[in-house]
Amino acid sequence: MIRIDHVTFSYGEENESAGGVQDINLNIEDGQFIVLCGESGCGKTTITRLINGLIPHYYEGKMNGEVWVNGAKISEQPLYDTAKTVGSVFQNPRSQFFNVDTTSEITFGCENLGQPKQGIRERLEKTVRNFRLEKLMGRNIFHLSGGEKQKIACAGVSIMEPDVLVMDEPSSNLDASSILDLRATLAFWKSQGKTIIVSEHRLYYLRGLADCFIYITAGQVEKDYSAAEFEQLTERQRADMGLRTFILEDLLPPETSPQTGKQMELHNFCFAYKNEPETLHISKDKIPANRIVGIIGNNGAGKSTFSRCFCGLEKRCGEVIWNGRTYRPKDRLNTCYMVMQEVNHQLFTETVLDEVRISMEDENQEWAEEILSSLDLGDIKDRHPMSLSGGQKQRVAIASAIASKRSILFFDEPTSGLDYKHMKEVANVLRQVRNTGITVYVITHDLELILECCTDIVHFENGSILDQFQMDASGLEKIWSFFLRGCL
Amino acid sequence: MRNKLQAKDLINLGLFTVLYFVIGCCVAIPIGFVPIFLPILGALWSLITGIPFMLFLTRVKKFGMVTIMGILSGLLMGLTGMGFWGVPMGAVFGLLGDLLLKSGGYKSAKRSLIGYAVFSLWMVGTYIPMYFMVEDSWASFAASFGEEYADKVMAVMPMWSIILVIVGIFVFAILGGLLGKALLKKHFSKAGIV
Amino acid sequence: MNGVSFSETTEKGKRILLDPRTKLFLLLTITTLMFSTSNEGIMNIVKPCLSLVPFVLILSERRFRAAGKYLLLYAVCFVLERIALTVLSGLLSFLVLAVTSIMTRFAPGIMTGAWLISSTSVSEFIGAAERMHVTEKIVIPMSVIFRFFPTISEEYQAIQDAMKMRGIRFGGKNPLLMMEYRLVPLMVSVVKIGDELSAAALTRGLGAPVRRTNVCQIGFRFQDVFATIFCILCFILFLFQKQIIF
Repeated sequence: MIRIDHVTFSYGEENESAGGVQDINLNIEDGQFIVLCGESGCGKTTITRLINGLIPHYYEGKMNGEVWVNGAKISEQPLYDTAKTVGSVFQNPRSQFFNVDTTSEITFGCENLGQPKQGIRERLEKTVRNFRLEKLMGRNIFHLSGGEKQKIACAGVSIMEPDVLVMDEPSSNLDASSILDLRATLAFWKSQGKTIIVSEHRLYYLRGLADCFIYITAGQVEKDYSAAEFEQLTERQRADMGLRTFILEDLLPPETSPQTGKQMELHNFCFAYKNEPETLHISKDKIPANRIVGIIGNNGAGKSTFSRCFCGLEKRCGEVIWNGRTYRPKDRLNTCYMVMQEVNHQLFTETVLDEVRISMEDENQEWAEEILSSLDLGDIKDRHPMSLSGGQKQRVAIASAIASKRSILFFDEPTSGLDYKHMKEVANVLRQVRNTGITVYVITHDLELILECCTDIVHFENGSILDQFQMDASGLEKIWSFFLRGCL
Repeated sequence: MRNKLQAKDLINLGLFTVLYFVIGCCVAIPIGFVPIFLPILGALWSLITGIPFMLFLTRVKKFGMVTIMGILSGLLMGLTGMGFWGVPMGAVFGLLGDLLLKSGGYKSAKRSLIGYAVFSLWMVGTYIPMYFMVEDSWASFAASFGEEYADKVMAVMPMWSIILVIVGIFVFAILGGLLGKALLKKHFSKAGIV
Repeated sequence: MNGVSFSETTEKGKRILLDPRTKLFLLLTITTLMFSTSNEGIMNIVKPCLSLVPFVLILSERRFRAAGKYLLLYAVCFVLERIALTVLSGLLSFLVLAVTSIMTRFAPGIMTGAWLISSTSVSEFIGAAERMHVTEKIVIPMSVIFRFFPTISEEYQAIQDAMKMRGIRFGGKNPLLMMEYRLVPLMVSVVKIGDELSAAALTRGLGAPVRRTNVCQIGFRFQDVFATIFCILCFILFLFQKQIIF
């Protein structure tokens, strides 16, 4: 049983409320499945850290109150002891593994605790069977997909057989089918009677599993819903609370009218990475232009290879014919721009304004400021780009693309890990960009974003375009069937 | 806070050692193929690695971290086939660097520059086999061409030139440290990393 | 970095299977003796023998092309060095000698190092270090280092891509800026990943004051004994070369 008793915590020395919590009181019974929900920065991650002991042992700050897990005071118990009862899975699959190969990663926790070898081997066998990991054993983790990495992370926690599992936005970087795998893992733990605490933006995959939803705003518990009560809320009410959709079927269809528009022709988009089989094979096809086009498909379907080739990052791949002009890879490097999922990589200078200015052919202060204010960045033009929030960074990257007069923008998972409000913001920015005449392609696993702003869909599978359609009534059917396949 | 190194510190240590080593190699590998540049390699290395090292120092608050970094760098050099002289040298100069930094309470800007420069001298360890080699080729030269000629050739890389190598590393390390500090101020403190 | 990274698996290693400690001893022997001063008498036999070791090792991994390349490079340099010493004279002799002597001395060590790294998985390496009673203060940072080599190359690749998309003119004039634009985002993201990694590792019990276990199977076998005897023999010949008379 977990007891959080009048806990107040703030990060760092300042008394800022950012991410901290005030006067939290929670009692979580054994075997319960709790979901912590609320907007970004509301403090739900902080609560997970209070339970797994990272606060106060890793993240420093001011703390009052006490947390008990199974009768032990977390603040007085070293992390390696807490690790025996509380297992944690985090948001970013890339940064939570310590080893290079999957087998050692799974056994890592047990090895740290100095458990006997034979016992670890037996546990490993059992875990591999339970999680159906036979195919992933002995592999290099760097070559796995995000979903597979997350599965290994879950297995690595499960092998330690903790009573409590704490997950911090585990679905943020996953595609639709990996989210279903994650759901299966959670169901397995629930069946074993584990206590589960998940902090999450995406809620739909937790439906039918969670016993209780705790809604948090500004660092305080606003309301405690039972699963039945939460189900009773309308999508509207949840949206007003800043929460993502819970019942996918209830999502409202977009209010877009079908358009007939221009198209781009693709020729010879075939590509293989060095020493690997061909991952992309489109000899000739057309895709919509001048609109917001959602690119969907499961991991390994060739979406990201396609976008890399399209943006000209791979030197020898394909030609695009658009408006009667042929664009070779080198030409596309100057006409396209990709806003990466890790935006940090594409911001280089020391102020936001500089970032835009150096992208221009001829530096033009006025125009730069104009672009910035149109993207709501006017007030922060002198800040360092790395100090901004994720959404702001994204907009800075967009601003630099506009400044260098790109006419095609690619977005790679722009809404991963975003709450409802920020997802809406991204959708608005995409529409705004499209209205200036720029073609927008969005690689996404986010059904809500698609319904919010995409007018066309291109569906990839096995390295080629399986289907493409507009978001009209029949298109809607298809998108439902892609996202809801096998779901719930 | 206890003064013993904890898991968190050890991870930081690994993280910055790998940054230090990889960034150094980015300079060393292309240049290392031209033998004439070998004597200035250490100097260039310590110039560029001033950047990660200064960032590292913002996280060093405990004695021993610089020493271990020296040993680890030496080990990495050894693993890449450059001989294991870097290990003892790394331990010695890392320890000296640590002592200097500690005397400044791990805060003093001046001490951190000098501490880094002293630490950088572990690079001399990678030169030791090269000087063995010079002596070696002198012997072979002397055997085939006579001592007079061999001496002339050796004038290009005489034993005392190791002093120049040492001075070069030290001076460039100071410059590298300044460069690192400048970048810290320009980027990392504004970005909220420090 | 040349894409050198530790081997991925513990399981599929059905190749030569030397214990990591033996591998380290081989590397130590080769680098020490190849750099040593003496180049006469018995050492004229020992050194070429040692140079053949990485060839055999790479061959045992069935990487025929790499082994062939190494042998060719080494042979060419070896012959050129002899030519420079006997036939050529003057500045030309010096230049050729400078290049070839560095190659013949460094190449075997570098190749053995590369082989060691590519044929050993990180956990085998760590297991070996723990068996040798190396302190945790070295072992933990060492495993972080090996885990971050591929991370750094991934991150660097992404930054290169981002720079490519920004256009060639971007910072192209000023080498210092070019370096800054690459290093700063690289360091920022690596440090960020490192902080998250620390948190994740701590919640899985890293740093517990017990002796870590290691499930991977290492141990000395026949071929280890053979390799060790070979190394010791080379050292003996080196140390007592003056006493050994043909």
